[in-house]
Amino acid sequence: MGFPHSHDLEAGTILSRHFGDASARRLEPWTGMGGYDGLKKAVGMEPPEITAVVKDSGLRGRGGAGFPTGLKWSFMPQEPTGPHYLCCNADESEPGAFKDREVLRWVPHLLIEGCLIAARAIRAQHVYIYVRGEYFPYTKILNDAVVEAYEAELIGKDILGSGWDCDLTVHIGAGAYIAGEETGLMSSLVGGRAEPRVKPPFPAQSGVFGRPTTVNNVETLAAVPMILTGGAEWYRQWGTEKSPGTKLWCCSGHLERPGTYELPLGVPLKDIIYDVCGGIRGGRKLKAVIPGGSSTALLTPDELDCPSTYEGLQEAGSSLGTASPIVMDENTNLVAVIRRTAEFYAHESCGQCVQCREGTAWVAKILHRIETGGGRLKDIDTLYDLCEQLTGRTICVLADSVVFPLRSSLDKFRADYEALIGGGAR
Amino acid sequence: MSDGGTTMVSLTVDGVSVTVPAGTPVIQAAERAGIVVPHYCYHPGIPSRPAQCRMCLVAIEGQPKLQPSCVMVVQDDMVVHTQMESEEVRDAQQAVIEFLLLNHPLDCPICDAAGQCMLQDYAYETGQLESRLVDPKLVMGRDRIADDILYFADRCIICTRCVRFMDDIAGENSLIVAQRGHKAYIDTFPGKDLDHPFRGNIVDVCPVGALVHEDFVFKARAWDFDTSPGVCGGCSQGCNIDVNVKENQVVRVKPRYNPDVNGYWMCDEGRRHLVMANRGLRADVPLIRRNGALEPVTWAEALEWVAERLPAGRGGVARVTASESNETLHALRGLLAHLGIDGGTFAVRRGETAGLPGFPQLELRAERAPNGAGARLLGYTERGELPEASGRTLVVLGDRLADADPSFGADAAFFLYLGSHLSAAARNATAVLPIAGAGEAEGTFVNVDGRVQRFHQAMQPQGVARPGWMVVARLLREVDGERAAVRDVRSAFAALADAVPEFSGLSWQGLGLKGARLPAMSPAGSGAR
Amino acid sequence: MSDRKNEGIHPAVVSAQPFQLASRRPVDRLFGDGEGCDRLEKAISRYPEKKAALLPMLAYAQERNGWISPDAMEEIAGALELTPAYVRSVATFYTMYNKHPTGRNIIQVCTCTACHLCGADDVFEAFLAATGTRPGEMSEDERFMVMEAECLGACGFATAVQVNDRYFENVTPESVADVLAALEVEEEA
Repeated sequence: MGFPHSHDLEAGTILSRHFGDASARRLEPWTGMGGYDGLKKAVGMEPPEITAVVKDSGLRGRGGAGFPTGLKWSFMPQEPTGPHYLCCNADESEPGAFKDREVLRWVPHLLIEGCLIAARAIRAQHVYIYVRGEYFPYTKILNDAVVEAYEAELIGKDILGSGWDCDLTVHIGAGAYIAGEETGLMSSLVGGRAEPRVKPPFPAQSGVFGRPTTVNNVETLAAVPMILTGGAEWYRQWGTEKSPGTKLWCCSGHLERPGTYELPLGVPLKDIIYDVCGGIRGGRKLKAVIPGGSSTALLTPDELDCPSTYEGLQEAGSSLGTASPIVMDENTNLVAVIRRTAEFYAHESCGQCVQCREGTAWVAKILHRIETGGGRLKDIDTLYDLCEQLTGRTICVLADSVVFPLRSSLDKFRADYEALIGGGAR
Repeated sequence: MSDGGTTMVSLTVDGVSVTVPAGTPVIQAAERAGIVVPHYCYHPGIPSRPAQCRMCLVAIEGQPKLQPSCVMVVQDDMVVHTQMESEEVRDAQQAVIEFLLLNHPLDCPICDAAGQCMLQDYAYETGQLESRLVDPKLVMGRDRIADDILYFADRCIICTRCVRFMDDIAGENSLIVAQRGHKAYIDTFPGKDLDHPFRGNIVDVCPVGALVHEDFVFKARAWDFDTSPGVCGGCSQGCNIDVNVKENQVVRVKPRYNPDVNGYWMCDEGRRHLVMANRGLRADVPLIRRNGALEPVTWAEALEWVAERLPAGRGGVARVTASESNETLHALRGLLAHLGIDGGTFAVRRGETAGLPGFPQLELRAERAPNGAGARLLGYTERGELPEASGRTLVVLGDRLADADPSFGADAAFFLYLGSHLSAAARNATAVLPIAGAGEAEGTFVNVDGRVQRFHQAMQPQGVARPGWMVVARLLREVDGERAAVRDVRSAFAALADAVPEFSGLSWQGLGLKGARLPAMSPAGSGAR
Repeated sequence: MSDRKNEGIHPAVVSAQPFQLASRRPVDRLFGDGEGCDRLEKAISRYPEKKAALLPMLAYAQERNGWISPDAMEEIAGALELTPAYVRSVATFYTMYNKHPTGRNIIQVCTCTACHLCGADDVFEAFLAATGTRPGEMSEDERFMVMEAECLGACGFATAVQVNDRYFENVTPESVADVLAALEVEEEA
């Protein structure tokens, strides 16, 4: 079950090199595979040095936003007046995304190492790994690795004799997509509802327990150890200037070979679908792809020549997101898919902001009515209007997220909607 | 720029320049500029600002997105555009209204908030006339959230003001949001209804009709009652109140904002006080004892009859109340002097105190009367027992003698009763002169902090009863035509200010609607009296 | 999955214990005995504020009893110096905390976008038929409860189904019977 192999073993397997090898989960074999070499290097470096390497590497946040990681770390106070915290966001709940689980279950020590290096860079003394509640099988693997690392004194007091103390706690959620939002995660961690907060204050000023905090995605942190041992230039041998490195692509839907593949950023999106994943199953034709997890605009078959980079997807009118293409073949009832996606957002809305609380549920209701034959032409106008009202008005971007698949499906597949509305008589 | 130590910031809101202290949120700066930014979850008296209703969004030049003005802090040279100038902002507000009305029941015809509802008001202003929803609305129902407070979940806009009042001000985390998303609603822990002594404030802060006092439900429409500014008579805190009266009955009492006394709040006991205060058999006409029985007569006849028979200079005892105004208590001193009576006593009921951690200067005070401080300043003494009146002149003003032995005063040589209610003991009087009850006249009280505050007439007195100070002054003029007339409360207060050093320099007009502290009195500690 | 033994749960992972299990170890008072108190103490020790131990303790209540009762909420509130209302507010926010008793096997079928594309609705119907239940309702013998779930994070291997603390992937209407059979085996073990 899992992760089919990297497309090209030479092309760059940083994270996935040991996917499928159960021995990589255990400390002994893992250290033999180069595990914790990054940490050993890091404890001999000052925090700004570590941050500089990561900054130079151009690593960007892999949780969907793509914010430069080194830059994010540099927002933390350089002279702490109290505790700093690192939160690892393992709440992976974006429909389409299933990459972080591969890191958790095959190379948990890689993640732990990345967390520790990042913690040192931001002068934190405690790391919280927030894992979504549903991931019980992978959490167990991570837990065993954490205990091993503690017993080997890789976590805890005076790490590798550096004089630096750092603890790590694994903390699981209980079913809330919105706990994957940076401030929602922090609200949940401290013992509350996973309700996003207004920024400012930004996490680097005041995060968990009122202290400076950095939140990073699993895949982002997992890249850090090898960036440290290999160096920024080494990491930049893959990808583009603005989108360096490799990415775990988790591909789903009507594909011949769905699964998780590590690829250098920049491979044309078309190639990922047709070469790496073997094209559409059953030899059918492609109808549309949602390229970056459900919160991104869908693309039609003729829009897939773009390079799979942050800037490339943006130019194509969508975004890289979590690099989780959901592929739909020609027989897909697209309106049903968008309806089900809208229902997801409606169910996951935390309920603070009016637009999101009411708007996502309304969108789902309208789509349901169109899907079941009760739609009218003016519903399409209403949906477009709702797209406007759900964009840029709320505390977090959950509301904005439903707009991407919705509006792009209305723009590019209006005929699908009109067909269900029966010729527009009403 | 600084102003005596506080850094000041200058910005423009809709073209109007304002200068405010650093740290002020834009919504308050806009208020300074005379512009009201519509809002729900923001409340000036509640410190937490979740910025979640999204109604107060404004456009700020240089910012790509609209910003919530309740949490956006002013910066020098900031240029703000509210709904007065910005199409985008108006559009956003209209959308918020549409979203709020989406599942909102069409309850206006039966909802107590109608006419005083922030959803109605803003919906009307933003002008969206039709709903675009053709799908079924979500229906959630009604719950009893406290003994006396109902929660209509369908009307709720999840602004969380009620939750945050309880958290921030009442200091009790007993009201919460349950569930999430569009299924969210406000609730308590099952089996633990709210019973905090200040819980009634959640109804006041609710912008819509989701939270309703059970004893106000269906009672009166907002446009059907009159409102008078008053001071609560429940205890010595002296919360400023607004009294809503319909057809001469109190239908509701709400707190009136006074930053130095009660902020935006008042306690539940106080809310109920005025409705209960005038229960019982009323004294509504003058009565004189002729042929062994009390006979109703006109004021002219009563005053002449009493004046003729007043046993001047012969001494006696007096009983007053801490629930009467300073004007009345002071006027009585003139009568007592005429009678040769040296001072008088009053009783005060005491009860449990209750505080508000988030607004510590407000407490339900132990002393359950509004003017104990005033009575003491005017020379009266607190004493639980009634005076010994046998064979003596007895003057009772305001004390209803409700718990007195029915024979009290029957063997007084002359018993003058000035009061609003007729208990058994009161009916032993030689003469009854009816005076206005609670909320039926104007006057001033002195609260526990030494603050003199005006209260105004909210209801007509019963029958031909008149304010106490007016009756006493009229009686004294009957006795001595040369005395100055005291025709209105202004001159009654002026007479008091002239005669009592602690009040000197104050005037009725000068007190305004927020009152003033007596210079000589220092503030009480909490619960001191 | 193996038996839970509390001694030996390292404090670093005390807040990450599975709480959806087929076998229950019901208890009236969560913190009446050594195990509960030990769990509580270890959890509290990981955070600068007691309140942060709330999710781990809600999880513990469910781990023991299969759901979180009002009594459990009150007990947790007392242990963490919170109000019961606050605990309720947090418990009702999250999908995975059960506020009512549930069947021993909570079968959660993902019907979200990617699995929807691959026939998840049919898989869901098949589970309902095979267990003879209606969505979200416990079967009469209390063995099963079938619900729809949001994205489970196994999108490439649709349809994904979570049963208690296990994942089943690539489930089809035809393989539903095998899933149920595997659960039976586990129950007997």
